[in-house]
Formats: sequence, C-alpha cells, structure tokens
Amino acid sequence: MNIDTLFALALATPIAALLACLWRPARERMLSLLVLAPLPALAVALAALLNPDAMPTLILDPDRRIGLMLDRPGAILLGVAALLWSAAGAYAATYLRGKPHGGRFVVFWLLTLTGSLGVFVAADLLSFYLTFALVSLAAWGLVAHDGTARARRAGVIYLLLAIVGEVLLLPAFVLLADAGPGASLAIETSVSALPDSPWLAATVALLIAGFGLKAGLAPLHVWLPVAHPAAPMPASAVLSGVIVKAGIIGLIRFLPWDAGLDGWGAALTSIGLFTALYAVAMGVLQSNPKTVLAYSTASQMGLVAAILGMGLAIGDREAVTAGTVYAAHHLLAKGALFLAVGVIAATDRRRLWPVLVPAAILALGFAGLPPTGGYLAKLAAKPVLGSEVVGLLAGLAAVGSTLLMIHFLRRVAAGASPASGAQAAAGLVWPWRLLFLAALLLPWMLAPVAGIRPWAALTDWYAIWSGLWPVLAGGVLALALQRWGERLPRVPEGDLLGLFKDAPQWANAVGERLERTETRLRQWPVAGVLLLVLTLLLWTVVLTMS
Amino acid sequence: MDLSVMLDHLLAVGGNLLVLALMLPVASLMLAFALGGRHAERIALMTLPLGLAIAVAIAAAVLYGDAPLHTDLGGWAPPLGVALRADGLSAIMLLTTAVVMVAVGLFARADFQAPRGATETRASFAFWTLLLALWAALNAVFLGEDLFNLYVALELLTFAAIPLVCLDGRAPTLAAALRYLMFALLGSVLYLLGAALFYGAYGTLDIGQLAARIGGDDPLEPAALIAAALMTAGLAAKTALFPVHLWLPPAHAGAPAAASALLSALAVKASFFLILRIWFDVMPELLAQMAAQILAALGAAAILFGGVLALRQARLKMLIAYSTIAQLGYLFLVFPLVASPETASLAELRNAPGVWTGGVLQLVSHACAKAAMFMAAGLIAASLGHDRIQDLGGIGRALPMTLFAFGIAGLSLMGLPPSGGFMAKWLLLSAALQSGQWWWMLVILAGGLLTGAYLYRVLAPALFAQNPPPAPVKPVDRSREWVVLGLALISVLLGLVPLSAFSLIQIGRDVSGIGLP
Amino acid sequence: MTAVTLFGLCGAALVGLGLYGLIVLPGALRRIIAFNLLGSGVFLLFGVIARRGGGAIAGTGSDPVPQALIITGLVVAFAATALAVALLRRLLQETGRDDWDEAGEADR
Repeated sequence: MNIDTLFALALATPIAALLACLWRPARERMLSLLVLAPLPALAVALAALLNPDAMPTLILDPDRRIGLMLDRPGAILLGVAALLWSAAGAYAATYLRGKPHGGRFVVFWLLTLTGSLGVFVAADLLSFYLTFALVSLAAWGLVAHDGTARARRAGVIYLLLAIVGEVLLLPAFVLLADAGPGASLAIETSVSALPDSPWLAATVALLIAGFGLKAGLAPLHVWLPVAHPAAPMPASAVLSGVIVKAGIIGLIRFLPWDAGLDGWGAALTSIGLFTALYAVAMGVLQSNPKTVLAYSTASQMGLVAAILGMGLAIGDREAVTAGTVYAAHHLLAKGALFLAVGVIAATDRRRLWPVLVPAAILALGFAGLPPTGGYLAKLAAKPVLGSEVVGLLAGLAAVGSTLLMIHFLRRVAAGASPASGAQAAAGLVWPWRLLFLAALLLPWMLAPVAGIRPWAALTDWYAIWSGLWPVLAGGVLALALQRWGERLPRVPEGDLLGLFKDAPQWANAVGERLERTETRLRQWPVAGVLLLVLTLLLWTVVLTMS
Repeated sequence: MDLSVMLDHLLAVGGNLLVLALMLPVASLMLAFALGGRHAERIALMTLPLGLAIAVAIAAAVLYGDAPLHTDLGGWAPPLGVALRADGLSAIMLLTTAVVMVAVGLFARADFQAPRGATETRASFAFWTLLLALWAALNAVFLGEDLFNLYVALELLTFAAIPLVCLDGRAPTLAAALRYLMFALLGSVLYLLGAALFYGAYGTLDIGQLAARIGGDDPLEPAALIAAALMTAGLAAKTALFPVHLWLPPAHAGAPAAASALLSALAVKASFFLILRIWFDVMPELLAQMAAQILAALGAAAILFGGVLALRQARLKMLIAYSTIAQLGYLFLVFPLVASPETASLAELRNAPGVWTGGVLQLVSHACAKAAMFMAAGLIAASLGHDRIQDLGGIGRALPMTLFAFGIAGLSLMGLPPSGGFMAKWLLLSAALQSGQWWWMLVILAGGLLTGAYLYRVLAPALFAQNPPPAPVKPVDRSREWVVLGLALISVLLGLVPLSAFSLIQIGRDVSGIGLP
Repeated sequence: MTAVTLFGLCGAALVGLGLYGLIVLPGALRRIIAFNLLGSGVFLLFGVIARRGGGAIAGTGSDPVPQALIITGLVVAFAATALAVALLRRLLQETGRDDWDEAGEADR
C-alpha cells in the first residue's frame, strides 16, 4: 500500500469508527474493537521511521497549505502513542465490559484518539488547533466518565483549564498566522518567520503557557493530579501517557529552534526544573497511587521542558530529538504503570511479585536505572542538559523520581486485592505485559536516532554509574521517608488548587452583583434614559470629530 | 439548459427578482388571510421553497453578474421614487433568512398544525400568517434603499414579531410583548426623527444619493450628525444592544420555540444590518471611526455581561436568550475593525475584507446555531414539560439527537473549530491584531471562555448525571430533530467553506479580492 | 419669528413632552398616549421641513415628499397604537394591571 494512503487511513480509521457509532448495534460492539482503531497510525509511523526519506504528506488546500505531514519527532511520538492507545483499548474492553455507559465511553475515547493522533501529524495552524481542541475537550468525557461527585469535580477542573489552554493558544496561533508570509498557514513557515515578528515575545509566552498547561508544567499542572486519578484505569493511562504529549509536540512544533532565544530557553528550563522537583515534593505527600503517578508525570514533563529549554536557548535541534526520545519512553512506561495499577488491584496481595517486580523496573526507569529504556532516555538527555547547574538539578530530580516511584510502589502494593487467590483477568494482564516489554525495549530501537550506540552504553561503567547513583540515593531517601513519612503533612490532590477554594464564592458574588445591575437595567425608565444617553454620546463623539 | 445560459437569463430578469422577493411573502400572506383555516399552513409551507429559490437566485445573480442588483419601483427614480438594491451583503442576509425560515417552518408544523377536524385554531392561523409577514418585512429591510421605506419595513417587522411573542395569550407574555412593542416603537421614533433630519438637510432619503451628497465637497450638515446618532440609538434598541436590551429576555421567556428562533436569529439582525449601512454606506469614514469605538465598547460589555448572566439563568431558554445578547456583542466589534485609522491607511487592508467576512460569518453562523438551539430547547421543554437546567440530568440518553444538535450548535457559538463561529472569531482576532487594536482580542477570548462555561452547565449534567434519565413526558418527532440537527450542522459546516466563497460579501462594497487569514 | 421656526419649536416641544411621558410616566395607557404625542412631534417636524422647501423638488413652495411620508407615518403610528391598546386590553383582562413592568414576571 502506498504510504500516503496509509497516512490518510491513520486518521480516517478512528473517524470511521466514530461514524459507525451513530448506529446503535455498532456502538455496542465498538468497545472490543478499540484495540484496532490506532493500528493504521502505528503502521504509518513504523513505515516512516524505517524509511525516513519518504515522510508522508497530505496537502488538502495548497493555497493555505492546509494538510497533514509527518517528521521524525512526529513519527516517533505517533508510533508509541498508537501503541499505547491500542494496548489501552484492549485493556478497556475487559475493564469496562458490562459496566454502564459503555457507548458514551467509546464515543469520547474515539474522539480523544482522533485528536490525539491528529496533533502529531497536523501540518498547519488550523488543523493543529482543531486536533488539539479535540483531544483536550473530548478527554473531559473520559475524566468525568464515572459520574461520581469526585469525577464531576475533576471534570470541571479539567475542562476549565483545558479551555484556558485553548484561550491562550488561539491568539498565539493568530499571531503566528500574521507572522507567516502570504496566505500560508503551514506551521513550518509561520514558525520560521516568527523571530522577525514584532509580537515574538507575546507569541512565545502564550505558546509556552498554553502548551505547558497541557504538558503539566507548574503552576498550571494542577489539573493533572485531579483528572488522572478520577478517570477509569485505561483512560488514566492515555491521559497521563499520550494526552500530556500533545503539549510536548506543541512545544516541539511551534518554538523557533534555530533562533537561539536564550532568555526564553532559560525561562523554559527553569520552569521545567522547578516542575520536576516541585511535583516530586507534592507527590510523596499523596496516598492514592494514581495521584502519585500523575505527579510523577508532571515531574517528568518538567524534565522534558528543561531539555527543550536548553535547546531553545542555544538554537540546537539535538535537544528536540533528546526531548522526543525522553517523552516517548515516558509515554510507554507511564501508560504501562497505570495499567499495572488496575492489574495489581485485582491480584491477590500474596502473589504480587510477578506484577510488582516488572512495575518496579519500569518505575525506577524514570530515574534512569540501567539497562531500562529510561536509562537510554537519560543518556540521550545528558549532553543537552550538561554537567553544570542544570545537569546537577536534573540529577537531583532523578533522585526525587526514585523516591517518588518507591512511594508509588508501596502505595500500589497496599491497594492489592485482599481476596486470597484473586487473579486479574487475562484481558488486563496481556496489554500490561505488552506495554512493559515495549517500554523496556523500544527506546533502545531509538538509540541510533539519539546518536547512542547501545552496546557502548551498556558497557560504559561511568555511564552506568551515572544512571545508578540517583537510584541508590533515592533508595536511601525512601528508607527515610518510610521511617518518618508519617510526620509529613498531607496535601490535597492538585496542591495549589487549594488557593482557589473560595473562587466559587467570589464568582458568585460577582454574578449576584451583575444580576442586581441587570434588574436595574431592565427597569423601563432606566432603559429609556440609557437610550437617550446613548444618542447623546454618539452625537457628542461625532461632533467633536467633525 | 446550460448553467451559464441560465445565469444569463437570471441576470436579464435582474431587478425584478428583488420585487419578487418582496411580493412573494406578501402575496402568500394575503392569500392565507383570505382563505384562512388550514390553508394558512399549506400556503406558508408552499411559500418556503419558493422563497428559498428566489433568495438563491438573487445570490447567484449578484455573484455571477459581479454587481449589485438594482431596481426603481414603478419606474420612478429617487428621490421621488423608491429603489430596491441587493448587494452581496443583502444577498447573504436574504439567503440566511430563507434558510432559517424554511427550517423554522418545518419545525413549527407539529406545534401549529390545526387539529384534525377543527377548521383552524387561532394560534395556528396567527403563526403562519405572522411567519410570512415577518419574512416580507425582513426582505424589505435587506432590500430597501429608502430610509423612510426602511422605517416602514422595521415597523412591519415589529408588528409581526410582537404577536409571535404572546401567542399563548398568558399575562406574562402579554406584558413582555407590550414592553417589546413600546420599546421598539421608541426606537423607531428615534430612527424616524433621524430620517426626517437627513431629509431636511439633503433633500433625499435614498441611501445612494445621500452617500453621494454627504461625500461631496460641501461640509457636512450639522443635522446629519444628530440624525445618524438618533438612528443608530433607535436601531440599537431594536437590536437589543447592551444596555438597552431590556425587552429581549422577557420576550423570549414565554414565546414558542419557533418564535424565539425567528426573533433571535433574524429579527434582531435586521436592525443591526441597518446600523452597518448607516455608518459604512452613508456616513463619512472619519466619523464612523469615532462612533465605532462606542458601539464596540457596548458590544464588548454585552459579550461579558450577557455571558455572565447566561451562566446564572435557571431556565434553558433564558440561558439561550442571554447568550444572544452576548453573541450580538461580537457583531458590534466589526465597527472599529473595519473603520480604524490603520485599516484606512493600509492599502491591502482597505475596506478590510477579512473583517467583513468575519462579521458576516459570525452573523450567519450565529443565526443558524441560535435558531437550532432555541428549537432544541423547545423539543426538550416539550418532551419534559419544563426546561429547568438543574433538572435536565440524563437528557442525553432520552433525547440524544436533540442534545447532539444543541451541542454542535454550541460548538459554533463557542468558536471551536471547525465551525463557522471559529472561522468568524479567527478572522476578527486577526483583524484586531492587524489593525493594532489587540484589546478587542481579549474581549473575544473572554467571551469564548464564558460561552464554554454556560454550555458546560447544560451539557455536563445532560451527559453525566448519575440519576436515571427522566422519562420523557412526550416522545419527540424524529423529523423535527432532523431539522434542528440540519440547521446546527450548517452553522458548523460554514467553517469548512473556503473563504474565497465569501467574495460575495464584497460585491457592492467596492472592494476587489478577499483577504485570507 | 417665522412660521417655520414656530412650528419647528412646537414640534421639538412635542417630541420632548412625548419622550418624557413615554420614559418617565407610570401606567401603560399614559405611555401609549405619550408615544402618540412623540409621533405627532416628529410628523410636525416633517411638515416644517416640507414648508421650508429645498427638498426633492426645488422651486415649489412646498415639498410633496414629506407630506406623503407624514400620511404613511400616521397610518403606521395608528396601527402601532391599535396593536398596543389591544395588547393592553388583553393584559387588563388577564391581570387587571395597567403596566408592563416586571414585578412578578415568570422569566427566571
């Protein structure tokens, strides 16, 4: 099959599945077919990576350059995202079987899937905005799916912040379209013209804020620890694995890498490192394993942002590759760990080791434990981060990650099933095992992309030590946490959200005031006088001009 | 027959099409009035496709001929006679009117069918004749060239809209109708006073002649200033521009869904259209720049105020009504974007085609989306027997298609891609940027946030309520759901139409080409 | 003081009185009458404009166009008054109240 046809199928398949859902019998069966919907995207990503000279493109409107395209970072992320979507889809088929509202779940799942795959392939501003809005807003249906008070609150917070993100990005895109030459709306041309735009600062600030919100950068990370735990298990996996990557691909696609914006690069790196450390501190104060994982996501995305920021500062595209590889590993490993939470919850606590050991390997991979995929991701990031302050802080973040992940393992083990002989269904176990292997091994396939020779990496003792010491140091800290952790305060999910506890009351007060104004405005004499005032106002204004 | 031959024939008919567009609803109205009974409904329904065809023909003739259509009624030239004229903007308004009319007509059949056996009911007879009257008045507003004729058309519009508000004859709707009537009359008198002053100053009421005399070498007559101010204020009262919107919420509260749809989608747009004509077709550009700031400031206030009030309504219908106040605010942002010193000085922005396209897209997509929302709310209310937002939980299961239509219409209001509302807001945002008036961008964005919030209030419980879905009191007619969905889809699909298709807007605005974002 | 000025001032006074009554006075009937006063003021101004000449047809003593407009306007104003009074009558029958103010309206 022609690769361009396959490329079109990548998005057409989930859309076709969505349309099929209009028909009730199809909707009822769709849950078991979710595993298939992302497969064409996986195929096209593989084909593109194997033959990088023939990246597919589909241009729908040549004048405005509207269409789809794939490049290397896009193909890597598209491939691993499709893999996670597929595995999580298989998991969902078992996890949600026989539960109510399956049809609604499937529709939101497919909508989110379409948008999520779309952001990795959109070539122009309008398509990107469309797919980004789709993935952001449709994921609300996954967050709020359970319908409990907690899920509803999570849904409100998620949606509010998602819309704030849209509102930040829309003017940024308008500014980009304005910066770009002629009628072209292609991301590439607009971004390359951005450094000459008089609105450069505003555009970059809006882009970092909008995409940073989606990626979970502090202080806009607050939706992550609220929304991810509230969703059903497979949805949490894609939320934490794939959907935050929409923010990462946004940063990758929209920041002007060749311009050497050192101020903005330093800002992005600082935000990233702060997030990486702050999220660890907040995470160890949580008790729900899913919340701990969500904080870990924020921390890891902070590191990706730090990597990208270093590249932005010096105009270095290597950072994009390193960030992509790092994000790809995180995508798979975090997805796998969320699935593991569900598996462990259904497994007898006395027979936990076959699940807990692989989970521990993946979890410590975030800290760079050799020879996991995470080790490779850290190696790829190392030259970009350097060995000075930034490198040191990144090492500290890895220590924190170890601490956070050991905390996670203890919390998740505590949540295992007390029933003796309980066993997770095969439909839950297999997707988890598949993703475990993928997260462990696939990053090594990306080693040539990142310019790393696997064998050398596995035999270089200095490198291995640099991956190992944060894990050991974190382990020691974890012992301390176990000993004295009880004395630490508890922080609610979404830490800073606590500051806005009274926001509904303020909003109510404003609303009441406006309602009183409205009652007054709707009185006949008031409106009549206002009409005359309007007349006089218009008259005076034009009078002063003429 | 070949298409181009057909279009040539159409052009040859030219101005007569305009007369036909006016005469058709009037003739049907007369006929329905004379025959009465069940015939009123039948005649109205037969008029719908004919009217749509005429609107399409006018648009095609304007587009194909690349020039406005024009006719002097009875062969008398202005200033003694009265002229009709359809430029691209008028053609689009006529077309929008026809599309919404057809949808509302099809939707209203179930509500206003004379029951079997009975010859007629008062409400049914009144609705169908008033629908035709409203259509005639709207066409007269969009085609009129004579300021006094436009006054009469506006009054006809009010007289047709008022009884629609109080079709059920209950006291609250009567009070609302009376309030609407008197405030609209106050607005019309101000308008008429302005027209009188224009005539006194320039000796003509024809918009074209007036523009020529005002644009001439003589200094502007002082009376023209106060005339324009009076007319604008009077029309703003009829458009329900904040803060003179007092009549709109109560008028919607008790009106039938079909009537609300007509009122919100079309009736308020007619007076807005005339404000556009006064400032861009009659008055000199420099003055328009000043008035534009005031109009846009009120529009911005409307966006924010209407949004917050919509958020606080207990009834779905009132939420949609306040949303109309907010969405009308966006239309007024067109003024400073078209008439700004920046746009005037830059050749490529001359007459700001992007803004025109954005404004018209906002107008048309709001008309379709809002009519769809009112009708969807009508279906929900008919099915449940109420429209209290807090008791709509689970309605998504009971009426999935209605809720879907409501949702995608909301998508367009919110300005999410790929809807017409998105394209409109995109064009307005980029126009605000290019003309150096970035502060209007903030208003547009904040408005989107508020729109999202009030739609959330409806959609979230409808989709995610824990309690079992309320058993519908009455099942809903599937064909009516299709009508609502169709209209909502139009408002979304408008965003996918290539912008070059909107070159129609520019015809008669003496601009060449169309700006792309 | 010429006739034009005198009638112009009269028209202006009628408009002022009408506006005052329509906006400020309580009671629906009073407001409807005030609206008619307001309308009469505007028509009188139209008449003044006709008398002053210089309109569509130059050279004649009086301009026919405004006179035609006045007649049409009178008809429209009459129709408006009739509609308003009819609505008010129904409202009186239903509630016994002679105003359209919002107290007790069931819109929220």
